Amino acid sequence: MKKKNYLNTLSDSNKPFIIYKSIKGFDLFTNFSEKIILNNKNIDRFLNKKYKFKNKYKSTDLLIGFFGYELLNNLIGVKIPKQKSINFPKGIFYKPETKINLKNRLIYKLNTKQKINKKFKININHNSYSKIFNNFKKKIRSGETYQIKICTKYKNKSAIDPLDFFCRLSETNLAPEAFMIKDKNFSIISCSPENLITKKGSFISTKPIAGTLRKNKKINKIKALSFFKNNIKETKEHNMIVDMERNDLSRICKPGSVKLKKEKIIEEYKDLYHYVSLIVGRLKKNIKNIDIIKAMMPGGSVIGCPKISTLNLLNHQEKENRNIYTGSFGYIKFNGDMRFNIIIRSILNFKNVSEISVASGVVIDSHAKNEFNENFIKAKALIDLFT
Amino acid sequence: MIYIVDHKDSFTHNVVHQLSLFDKVECANYDEIDNEKLNKAKTIVLSPGPGSPKDYPKTKNIYKRFKGKKKIIGICLGFQQILFAEGGQIIQQKQIYHGFQSDIKVISKNSIFKNNLILKVGRYHSLKLKEPFNAKNFDITMRCVISGSAMCVENNIDNIYGFQFHPESFLTINGNLLIKKILSA
Repeated sequence: MKKKNYLNTLSDSNKPFIIYKSIKGFDLFTNFSEKIILNNKNIDRFLNKKYKFKNKYKSTDLLIGFFGYELLNNLIGVKIPKQKSINFPKGIFYKPETKINLKNRLIYKLNTKQKINKKFKININHNSYSKIFNNFKKKIRSGETYQIKICTKYKNKSAIDPLDFFCRLSETNLAPEAFMIKDKNFSIISCSPENLITKKGSFISTKPIAGTLRKNKKINKIKALSFFKNNIKETKEHNMIVDMERNDLSRICKPGSVKLKKEKIIEEYKDLYHYVSLIVGRLKKNIKNIDIIKAMMPGGSVIGCPKISTLNLLNHQEKENRNIYTGSFGYIKFNGDMRFNIIIRSILNFKNVSEISVASGVVIDSHAKNEFNENFIKAKALIDLFT
Repeated sequence: MIYIVDHKDSFTHNVVHQLSLFDKVECANYDEIDNEKLNKAKTIVLSPGPGSPKDYPKTKNIYKRFKGKKKIIGICLGFQQILFAEGGQIIQQKQIYHGFQSDIKVISKNSIFKNNLILKVGRYHSLKLKEPFNAKNFDITMRCVISGSAMCVENNIDNIYGFQFHPESFLTINGNLLIKKILSA
């Protein structure tokens, strides 16, 4: 089969598949021989299971999928009160039998017309957002949290072709942790920029993002850096995340091995500049993958700080299940290596309803209106796909 | 051995790693305090954490039980817990410092640190000590250069030390030296 038409043939076949951004292009995984739907009961067994590979390690000797937000909370003993739910699975992993490398430009021709509805409904209006915001500010004053991210959700009813969406998204927003999943009754499309875990042997790293700047003609990389350096609010938010991620790595790494390898640098993407740090460490002996996942997830930069008390504040505030949002997508190789991102900037399409969740941070000097608008800006890149 | 009471903070394990440079460290959650290990410890460290000292009555009991018997070190919330247990009031402050690097100064001759020394430190606190504060053998030995709020408390008779800032933060320059000095005091 020619690679050129491969995506069309695959999409027409209705077979589930996954695409994940690689360094050079994209990896496509399909022909799944196993599908594991995760819940609170089987998650421990899933994470503790040792997979064997025959003789030589193959590039398909891995499980690829996602952990939803609720599952990750439960895993670290944080309970979520009863919320409105669409009963989407808490986590799913697949065992692929085929892996194909694709180039950076995905070629796909849409055959059938999609039924796209352009209108979105938001679950929290500006007024209620401000109320939540002010309540959380009080919690910051009293020291219960130092930074907290309020999530808003945009929803619409559309029958979409996820591959078409993903290809178009990759044209406009090529993100290093982008991925898509197409399965029978759901699809996920994401242009996540944030790597939460890269584990190779005993080496582990995390690359938190805190600070985003939209590109325009006047701003180059150097100007973006001085914008962040001179912006006390952004700097404080970022510092907090750096210390929190150092902490999370320190739970599982050898004392003295946790290092801030890149401190507050600018990464340039097609439309955005991100303020990024890279933290690395060497894993302690006898640390299992389940320990790593419990220490690092859910990723702190999208929750707030300190993690546990902030999660509790969030969970008591939010009326709707976050589903995949601020969960993690990635893979666990049978040799123990892992790569996971943080699921943000994503569309979940389940039973022909699309939802886009976004969040922005409340710190002591943020303003409700700015943060509410920042949420919309973050959602807009995805909403714009619905044309 | 150093025993850390963890108030479920997202910075405690930075403290663990920093202290591990000097001694064996045991760290347990506030909800799962190990009395046997606590009794064996040479030094007790009260970790940073969310909320205010009154939210953690067990820590106050630990402090009272071991005051004068073991070296006690408090960081951020732990600093406030020492002062709270000594009758001090912990109050909200107008200007809040979260993830903030600031200059602080040693202001006392009674300090184990050099008087007038200026340090660059990382701060994460919503609350502060209400002053004047007086307790027997306790000295406020460091203050914020700008606001003047209390940044370090020392009691060199009972071997009690507290920092309002975070010596384990990447924002604190030479944090390891500060900790080393206190552990060897």
